[in-house]
Amino acid sequence: MLEFLLTSHPLDCPICDKGGECPLQNLTMAYGPGKSRFPVESKFHNEKRVPLGDLIMLDRERCIQCSRCVRLQDEIADDHVLGFQARGRGLEIVSLSDPPFDSKFSGNTIDICPVGALTSRDFRLSARVWEVRDYPSVCAHCSVGCNILIGERDHDIKRIVPRENESVNEIFLCDKGRFVHHFATAPERLTTPLIRRGWKLEVGSWNEALNLVASKFAETRTQHGASALGGLGGDRASNEDLYLFQKLFRQVIGSNNLEHRVGWSATNVGADLVRLYGAGVGTNLGALDKNVTVLVLGADPEEEQPVIRLRLTKSVRWYGANLIVANGRVTKLAKHAKQSLVYKYGAEAYFLLGVIRAIVDEGLENRDFIAARVANFEEFAKSLEPNTVERCAELCHVKPEKIRDAARQIAQSPNLLILSGREAMFAQQNDPAVASGIAALLLITGHVGRANNGLIALYPHNNSMGALDFGLLSEGGLSVREMASGKVRALYAMACDPAAAGEFTKPAFLVVQDLFLTETAKLADVVLPAQSFAEREGTFTNTERRVQLFRAALKPIGESKPDWWIIAEIAKRLGAEWKYGRSSEIMEEIAATAPRYAGMTYAALAENVKMPRPAYGQGNPSDQPTEIAMGELENVSSGKAWRSVAESEPNAKFELVWNEPGQQSPEDSRQYLAVARSLYDRGTLMSQTQIVRPRVPKPWVEINSQDAEQLGIENGARVRVSFDSRVIELTARVDGHVPPDAVLIPSNLDGTAALPLGARVKVEKV
Amino acid sequence: MEHLILRDLDIPNLQDISVYEQHGGYDALRKAVKEMTPDQVTDVVKASGLRGRGGAGFPAGVKWSFLPKGVFPRYLVANADESEPGTFKDRQIMERNPHQFVEGIAIASYAIQCHNAFIYIRGEFPYAAQCLEKALADAEQRGYVGKNVLGSDYSLTITVHRGAGAYICGEETALLESLEGKLGQPRVKPPFPASVGLYNKPTVINNVETLCNVPVIIERGAEWYAKIGTPKSTGPKVFCLSGHVNRPGNYEAPFGSISFRDLIYDFGGGIRGGKKLKAILPAGASGPMLSPLANPAVMDVKLDFEALAPFGSLLGSASVIVLDEDTCVVWAAKKMVRFFEHESCGKCTPCREGTYWMSRVLERIDAGIGTLGDVDLVAGVATQMQGRTLCPLGDFSTSPVLGSVKIFREEYERHIKERGCWARK
Repeated sequence: MLEFLLTSHPLDCPICDKGGECPLQNLTMAYGPGKSRFPVESKFHNEKRVPLGDLIMLDRERCIQCSRCVRLQDEIADDHVLGFQARGRGLEIVSLSDPPFDSKFSGNTIDICPVGALTSRDFRLSARVWEVRDYPSVCAHCSVGCNILIGERDHDIKRIVPRENESVNEIFLCDKGRFVHHFATAPERLTTPLIRRGWKLEVGSWNEALNLVASKFAETRTQHGASALGGLGGDRASNEDLYLFQKLFRQVIGSNNLEHRVGWSATNVGADLVRLYGAGVGTNLGALDKNVTVLVLGADPEEEQPVIRLRLTKSVRWYGANLIVANGRVTKLAKHAKQSLVYKYGAEAYFLLGVIRAIVDEGLENRDFIAARVANFEEFAKSLEPNTVERCAELCHVKPEKIRDAARQIAQSPNLLILSGREAMFAQQNDPAVASGIAALLLITGHVGRANNGLIALYPHNNSMGALDFGLLSEGGLSVREMASGKVRALYAMACDPAAAGEFTKPAFLVVQDLFLTETAKLADVVLPAQSFAEREGTFTNTERRVQLFRAALKPIGESKPDWWIIAEIAKRLGAEWKYGRSSEIMEEIAATAPRYAGMTYAALAENVKMPRPAYGQGNPSDQPTEIAMGELENVSSGKAWRSVAESEPNAKFELVWNEPGQQSPEDSRQYLAVARSLYDRGTLMSQTQIVRPRVPKPWVEINSQDAEQLGIENGARVRVSFDSRVIELTARVDGHVPPDAVLIPSNLDGTAALPLGARVKVEKV
Repeated sequence: MEHLILRDLDIPNLQDISVYEQHGGYDALRKAVKEMTPDQVTDVVKASGLRGRGGAGFPAGVKWSFLPKGVFPRYLVANADESEPGTFKDRQIMERNPHQFVEGIAIASYAIQCHNAFIYIRGEFPYAAQCLEKALADAEQRGYVGKNVLGSDYSLTITVHRGAGAYICGEETALLESLEGKLGQPRVKPPFPASVGLYNKPTVINNVETLCNVPVIIERGAEWYAKIGTPKSTGPKVFCLSGHVNRPGNYEAPFGSISFRDLIYDFGGGIRGGKKLKAILPAGASGPMLSPLANPAVMDVKLDFEALAPFGSLLGSASVIVLDEDTCVVWAAKKMVRFFEHESCGKCTPCREGTYWMSRVLERIDAGIGTLGDVDLVAGVATQMQGRTLCPLGDFSTSPVLGSVKIFREEYERHIKERGCWARK
């Protein structure tokens, strides 16, 4: 077989990207004779450079027609975008989609290609694999927290490849995680502190900048009180940074004005729910079987947490997980759902209430659990009284029998996981009834405190969970909007860009700490250059509450410093006696003082663990899981998740909370705005990577075909969308993915930032 | 003896539905639908011993009974993708006796209770496809196919689908893929099409000639039919004779009634120009070649499915190609391997690479620039390919090489030593 494969395979290993990590090369070295029986001059020749998409280059000559890429796209990624064409020796891989290779997982085909046929257009011919040093890290884009290896050579990131972690990302990585890394070494990075002198931001020294910040903070505090200072800490920063940031404000300055939810369209995320009912430790989203019902509520993981979508698809297809998808529109995940329910945007709470009521009506609630651990079920049931299934069904536009069917599946399943996404959590001006509804559904069915049970909140950013853990919330302090509108006299903005996310009024003194000269930084009095995740160590907490350690791969760019160092220096200048020499010392303090993070020191997080690699398909005839060591090579473990209250305190009693859903009359429903997000956005990090630019879609508005017909709008037409006081012009996409009366606009593309979800809109043809 | 399959040779204008009806056409269908249950039809066909005429010789009735009980819909696919070199029997049937074929499909569909039957016809047969479409239109008009066949509550739609010209699509699973609109590549078996076939539903795939036997069996009974031919290979067979003979063509004869000598010298009128016979390709390009020069007994063995096994070959679809003494065997082998190289689908590595490799080596030997080691090399490659591919195409492609090297090794060596082909000097 090897000889057959080599008859047509070119002998260009010396210039092949795969050389050095090529299975065909390895097998040939292990088993092949040194000489071929087949003369070189008879070799088959074919095209060497075929761009298969924006990101992948195909070498048809090297291809051995194994069809792994086609099967990965079909069976794992569920994007049918590759196929074969022609036959015999001329059999070749082609892209069937427009734009070509239209998949968010295309980069994985490079990894699984057993030869150098599929290569990254970014990494291609730029380094030999043995010159590249791999540093274990964690992807800093979305809240999945995929484990990665940063391939470094000459203080530059050459490539990023996935690092196997069966409980987070298996061996996969989305294209954003793989290709969007050029921001780390971009020439636009800030290299020195900048201080405003007159109208201009001028280069200053660290000492000068830090002294100025400390003296201004102290001055503001003496003149206007501690509450005149505010801190916005972005949820992209590490746990160490966020911990010190809140410590600086709470302990040193004495202000509670702390927030992290910059650019989020709402504030009530039910942060407490995860603390109380977060999914049990040991939940593996990629290995949920038929005994687990998964309710995905108001989420679009394909765009926001791509690898979670991939893993849920796998659970459904291979292990038979019972997936129920409920959203205001049809998302990609809905295709795999046993039940796909489309409710009316804004009526999420009624949908949840309908399900709860159906469970109570049929007597399917978990009585034993309620008796043991729920304090006020009778009271709750009384409040539920007027909300019959029929009433809820009418208000949320889902048929009552569908609600009942979902209720039965939820209540009768041995395990229930709820994945709630942005569209549910931020629904309708923060309807608290959605959060209390989720909690009630989990409690009355008793699905908390065990693995494969409980809530996973799908947060937008890589460390949103950490920011919540360290209390960067407006509890007793000012909200993001208040801080951004000049209600504080001195504002410290770390790793966030409030000016780009909405209206912003510069306070008297503004400090910005970031990688780039962002919109906010341009207004700042002092700009402090921070380090990217590739230059330092730290920990992120992913959306499943898994705390993961990442290591430094690059030397610092210019004079940039880690965020925690900068915060500590300011604290020292304000009189605190902080002595942190390295980030691991901060984590030791966190591990000793924060109960959720107890014991999570770097040493503990870097501990080697063995994890079962599941057996699937025909590949493993023994059907036994094979053990692989996660940390053998990298000395980084699979991370540790903290336990929710339901799990850590088995005797704790919970209270059901009743919130009356925000009133919604069905007449008041013409043309409201739904807001989606696109994986490839116009963010600071994306804009630094040339190769993915063509992937960033032009902003569009999605309109239901019925509505479009009424309004006389055709697919691809330009339309004007007006709401509140804004008017934007967009290209229309007419399809059945959004329900009638809703229009959907992705909120993170050119000119579509900060859209108010649920606002009434008017759509007209241009 | 009267023709049972090539009835057009006895009856002029048989493609005309009224002529076909005058000669007892569609009586068998009427009998099946009106008087018999589907299982009875299957049992009669089973009892007749009818074996598939596409080459493998699998009993047709048994194939029908393999369908899993109670799984519907089911499909019948008539394999009319006749593309084996030297085979042209189905084409004659479809062009000149199409109604017997349609009747066969209707009866078989009734037997397996399928309501959608497909004819996958080779794309290079536009005229045959037109003939079939006309025949189907006529038959539908007279109520033999379509809604409520002959007034019963059984309905059947027959669809003619033209292939795009790929030999591999004659392989049944590749045919199904192609019919579904995908690239024609064989599937992994099992599961067999009987359980997971077209659109993942139970499917029966039969050759045109096989289906043409069905009306005869239903009309005259299994017992009568089973008396024709040998006990193991019952019924008549159409032999396609081509190559260096005086009268090439389709000849129908019962199994076990004729030998190669009868076929070539009696039916075929002997070798062209009175030359000597050098080799016989009994199953088009796919069966290893035979030669009276190697074993004279081969000329007189009575032909049925198993008759050629002792000689290391097979009858296949009985497409007999005759090579005379002036033919260069190396050239012939090269031509055939090139055919397989061109037609390999490319899915399995040994076939995709092996046919490519064998072609290059045979070209070299044929052009007179080979080395003595090349003969063993090409035979070695062929041996490595055997049994390592999903479908028989890979195995078939080794036949021209292994068969010819076994019998005519000295001719290969002569090419190499004389630096070129003796026949073309």
